[in-house]
Amino acid sequence: MERYLNTPIKEIITSFPEVGKILEEYSIGCVPCTLGSCLLKDIVAIHNLAEDKELELMYRIEKTIYPERDIKKPVFKASKKEPDKEIRYSPPMKRLVDEHTLIKKWIGRIPQVIENVDIESESGSQLILDGLDFIRFYADKFHHAKEEDILFDYTDKNLDIIRTILADHEAARGHVKEMLKAIGEKDTNAIIGHLCAYKDLLTEHIKKEDEILYPWIDRGLSTTQVGELFAKFNEAEEKMDKGVIEKCQKFIAEAEQRIENFHRS
Amino acid sequence: MPKVHRRGRTKNRKFSPLISGIPQNAGRTKKGGSKMMDGCPGARTQDFREKETKGDESGKRQSQLRQWPIQLHLVSPEAPYYQKADVLLSADCVAFTVGDFHKDYLKGKSIAIACPKLDEGQDEYVEKIKSWIDDTKINTLTVMIMQVPCCGGLVAMAQQALQSAKRKIPVKSIVVSLQGDILSEEWVEA
Repeated sequence: MERYLNTPIKEIITSFPEVGKILEEYSIGCVPCTLGSCLLKDIVAIHNLAEDKELELMYRIEKTIYPERDIKKPVFKASKKEPDKEIRYSPPMKRLVDEHTLIKKWIGRIPQVIENVDIESESGSQLILDGLDFIRFYADKFHHAKEEDILFDYTDKNLDIIRTILADHEAARGHVKEMLKAIGEKDTNAIIGHLCAYKDLLTEHIKKEDEILYPWIDRGLSTTQVGELFAKFNEAEEKMDKGVIEKCQKFIAEAEQRIENFHRS
Repeated sequence: MPKVHRRGRTKNRKFSPLISGIPQNAGRTKKGGSKMMDGCPGARTQDFREKETKGDESGKRQSQLRQWPIQLHLVSPEAPYYQKADVLLSADCVAFTVGDFHKDYLKGKSIAIACPKLDEGQDEYVEKIKSWIDDTKINTLTVMIMQVPCCGGLVAMAQQALQSAKRKIPVKSIVVSLQGDILSEEWVEA
């Protein structure tokens, strides 16, 4: 089993698809992950399961990989108290989660945009361009930059989980680049394809960060580090052009109406 | 002449006892029934002499205190040891209750102590906390209180100071049981 504990999860799920299903039962969503390079042992550790749940999970995975082995089933003592389901973030981490809320609003509207996309009209192409500006300035320069330039300095950047997150950021930037190119070429299919891919990528990415990455980083931060992070986020925000951020927030507030108007015309 | 602050019933400040982290039944009888205890749960006589002491008692621990004075009326909020520091604002009783107070909570921090039940002049406390945030630019504030309802006033003071301050900092609240266990540890919303 030692060998598999140090094996990337994608390899394990490819060889033993049942393991992916088992992980999902414990709310560990590795199956749709684009990279899957995290080691099984790190995945189990990072999810902070109750001790009895972790024992049960490891027993089931081992039994799936080695069905012929006589593995002693651990005695599962019921947890004295259910682990707290509500995630409590430190103030700097809470700020990142709140920024996700605004990004999720735009992601939630992408299906309507795709349904009504008309790149030939001025209002149609402007809506897509404004959406891309929101992604570039708010989701990327404002939010992702805080993670890459500040937050990840408090972690080991060589860890698979951090590499996966950074790869997601790069993939998102790639979609934006391709969308800008497609707008110039008035290639509606390419715009739809990349917008869809961006939506799927960011939906999974935000879930990963809110439910796994941020709580994990929070568990390792000292009080002093929480204060430092909070101050560094403030400094970074002060350096940003406030007008651009307000424009992004305004775009989200008005996006629904613009899509609605577009749909009616 | 510096103003003399005496201990006695606080005349002009009243804070809600319903502070997060303090059990809602803190003043009830042991059975948790509907009958409320007579008198204040913070002053009720309780005897812990039967409690078994565990842990290694050998060796001596160094004090982690790195300043004087410590009482909130006596400290200057702009003292050098508060500059950009992680500050611990502790209710008076906490240090006597938590066995490893120095090692686990005081280490690396600057401190001030106060009693939200007995101290007078608590408006000055709010001003001093605000000065820590705005003038001394402290990094974080950790407020450690007992589980008794009256102790919640210290967290309320920190929240009031934070709301009126120009700067924002992370503020944490830690609630300690009468027998020294940590009941809750959470970040406070501004």
